[in-house]
Amino acid sequence: MQPGYELVKEQLFFRKELIERLPWLIRLRWIIVAAGFAGYGALCLFGQNLPPFPIAIVFSAILLYNLLFHLVWKYIPPFKLQSVRQSDDAPRLCDREIRAFTLFAHTQISADLLALCAAVYYSGGIYSPLVHFFIFHIILTGILLPPVSCYLYGILVFLVMGGLLLFQQWSLVPIYPIWFQDALFSNKSGLNEIIIRYLTLMTVILVTAFLVTTIKLSLRTKGRELLHLSKALDESNTKLTALYEMVREMGLCSEQKALMDSATRHAAGIMGVKACSIKLIDEQQKTLRFASAYGLSEDYTKSKDCIDITKSPINRKIIEGSVSAIGNIEERDYFQYPEDIRKEGIASMICLPLRVDKMVLGVFCVYSKTAHYFGDSDVRFFALMADLTALEIEKLNTQLNRTWFLQKVAHQLRSPLHAVVGLLKILKNGYLGAINARQEEILLRCEKRLEMSDSLVSDLLRLSIRRSSPNRDDMHQVYLQKVLRSLSGFFEAQAREKSLYIEFQIDDTLPAVTATERMLDDLFSNLISNAIKYTPPEGRVAIRLERGEENRILLEVTDTGIGIPEDAFSKLFTEFFRAENAKSYTEAGTGLGLVIVKEILDRLKGTVSVNSIPGKGATFTCRFHVR
Amino acid sequence: MAGLTDILIIDDDKDLVQAMQIILERHDYGVRTAYNGKQGYDKIQTRPPDLIILDVMMATDTEGFDLAYKLKQSPEYRNIPIIMATSFTRTMAEEGPERFQHIMGESWPVSHLIEKPIDPEVLVAAIKKILAEFKKE
Repeated sequence: MQPGYELVKEQLFFRKELIERLPWLIRLRWIIVAAGFAGYGALCLFGQNLPPFPIAIVFSAILLYNLLFHLVWKYIPPFKLQSVRQSDDAPRLCDREIRAFTLFAHTQISADLLALCAAVYYSGGIYSPLVHFFIFHIILTGILLPPVSCYLYGILVFLVMGGLLLFQQWSLVPIYPIWFQDALFSNKSGLNEIIIRYLTLMTVILVTAFLVTTIKLSLRTKGRELLHLSKALDESNTKLTALYEMVREMGLCSEQKALMDSATRHAAGIMGVKACSIKLIDEQQKTLRFASAYGLSEDYTKSKDCIDITKSPINRKIIEGSVSAIGNIEERDYFQYPEDIRKEGIASMICLPLRVDKMVLGVFCVYSKTAHYFGDSDVRFFALMADLTALEIEKLNTQLNRTWFLQKVAHQLRSPLHAVVGLLKILKNGYLGAINARQEEILLRCEKRLEMSDSLVSDLLRLSIRRSSPNRDDMHQVYLQKVLRSLSGFFEAQAREKSLYIEFQIDDTLPAVTATERMLDDLFSNLISNAIKYTPPEGRVAIRLERGEENRILLEVTDTGIGIPEDAFSKLFTEFFRAENAKSYTEAGTGLGLVIVKEILDRLKGTVSVNSIPGKGATFTCRFHVR
Repeated sequence: MAGLTDILIIDDDKDLVQAMQIILERHDYGVRTAYNGKQGYDKIQTRPPDLIILDVMMATDTEGFDLAYKLKQSPEYRNIPIIMATSFTRTMAEEGPERFQHIMGESWPVSHLIEKPIDPEVLVAAIKKILAEFKKE
C-alpha cells in the first residue's frame, strides 16, 4: 500500500462527519425557526414587548437562507451526489469537492452566527438569554472544522459582541431590552456588571473553543490509531482466511505435485508477489530440485534444475534451518549467477526451510519485483505458511506411503493365492491328464475358496485405503447415469450366465454429483452384484436411476432373491456380517460389500436404506445429494 | 526348440512360472524361464525371445517395469512384445504411488497387461493376438 493512499483514506474517514452534519444542520434549522416563531408568538400572547419587525426579519432570514441551503444541498453538485449516496460508504472526493463542502460549512455557520448576533441584539444584547447559543456554534465549529476556524469564530463573536456593547454604551445604536431587562438597562451603575458579563461570556466561548479543539485532536489521534489497527486487523483477517483456504485445498490433494502447485499459487496470491517456488531436497541431502514454481519462467527453473547445496551457501544455510530474507539482491554477492535472477525480474526474496520437526524437506521461496518489499511481519507470516505447507507435504507422503504399503501387503497376500489358482486351473483343464468328475468338483471348490480369499483381500484393501485417506479423493462433477451405463453390459452378461432377467431404467437428464468414477463404480458394482448373487435363476433384478424428492437423485436396486431377515437389518452395514440365509445360500461373499457402499455414500453425503421380505426379495435405495 | 515360437517367462514365483510353462508348452510354444530381472535380461541377450511374459513386482517394487523400460530403450530389444502379468489390478496400479502413474501414459512399454490369477485360455488368446499383430507389422 502506498503511504499517500493511506493518508487520503484517513482524511476521507474523518471528513465523513463533516459531510453528514451539513444536511443535519439544515434540518435542525427548520426546527429552530419553528421554535423561534412559536416562542415569539407565545411571548406576544402574554403581552411582552418584543420588537416584532426585527424578530420577524431575523427568523424569516433564517428561514430563507435555510431554504437556499436546502436547495443547494439537493440540486447543486457535488452536494447533490451526497444527498443520494449511502451513508456508510466513505465518500471518495477530490480536493476541490472537499473545499466546496468546507466552504458550505463555513457559510452555514457564518450565516447562523450573523442571525444569532441579530437575534441577541434585538433581545437585549448582553442580557439576552440567547447569548448562550454562541457556545453551541463554537462547539459545532470545533467538531466540523479545523481548530483555527473554531478560534477565529470565537474571536469574531468576541469582537462583534464587544462592538455591540460599545455602540450601545455610546448610544450609537438603540437598545432593545425585553420585558424583564428594563430595570437592568435603566440602572447606569450596571456598566461594571455588563462588562463582567461580557468578559465571562467571552472567556466561556474561548475556553469552549480550546476544550473542543483539544478533545477533538485527541479523539482524532485515537481514531487514527483505531483506523490503522482496523486496517491491520482486516489485512491479517484476509491473509488468515486465504491461508485457511490454501491449507484446506492442500488437504484435498491426492498427489504431491498438485499439493505443491496449490501451495505456490496461493502463496504468491496471499503475499501479492511475482512468484513462489518449492524446491525439494534429495535423499542424500545434496541437491535441491524445483518441485513447483508459480510465476517463474521455464528457462529460469530449468537453468536451476539441480542445485548443488555444497556450492550454494544460501541454500545450505536454509537447509540447516535458517531463514534468508534478501531485501535487495544487488546489495551483496548472494548468488553465483545474479544475472539470471536479475533477468527474471527478481529484486528481493524470502527463502525458508520446509521443516517438519527436525527434518527439512526442502526450500520455500517467495520473490518480489520490488526491492525491500518484505517487512518483518511478512517474514513471520511466510514462515507460518512454510510450516503448514511442510506439514501437508509430510502428511500426504505418509498417507501415500501407507496406501502403497497396503497395496503391497495385498499384493503379497494375493500372489500365493494366484499361484495356487493357476496350478488348479491346469489340473482342472486337463493339462496334466484327464480327471474324473469327483476330482473336478473338488478342484472347483478349491478354486472357489481361493477366489473368495482373493475378493476378501481386494475388499479389505479398498476399505483400508479409503479409511486411511478419507478426504483425498479428487472429487469432481460426475454423471451417475454415465458410470452406470458403462457397467450395464458387464452385469447383463453376469445376469445371462445365471438366467436372470435384468433391467436398467436410467434417466439420462440427471444432473452431475460431486464424486469420483471409482467410488460410483464400487457403489454400483457392490449393490448390483449382490442382487445378482442372491437371486436364484429365472429371477429378476431391476435397477432404477431417476430424480428423487428435494433435489436428490434416487438409485433403487430391487431383486426377487432370498431377501434379508429383519433381525439382520441393524447389522447389514457392519464389517464381515452376512445374514444366515445368505451364508446358507452361497459361500461366496466377504461381508464387506455393503460396508463399502455405506462408506461411499457417507463420503458423498448420501443415504442408503433397505426394504425386504425374506424369500421374496430386497430393495436397496440410495439417495444422492446434488451439489 | 527350432521352429517353435520362443516365449520367455520372467517371474519370481516358481509355481506360477511352472503353471504358465505347462500351459504354453501344451500349446506348442517354446518356453524359457527366469526368476528375476537380471536373469531375464541375460537370457534376452543370449537369445532374444519372440515374446516376454513379465511380472510387475519381483524382488523390488519396480523390477518388472525397470526391465521393460530398459528393453524399450535398447534398439535390439525394443520390438519384442511384452505381456505384463500382475497381482495388482490395473486400477490399483493407477491409484498407486507416482512411480507407477507414468507407466499408464503414452510411453506404456508393454503390449498387454494381464491380471493374475492367469486363466490359461485368456493367456493363450492374448499371446496369439499379440503375435498376430506383431507379424502384421
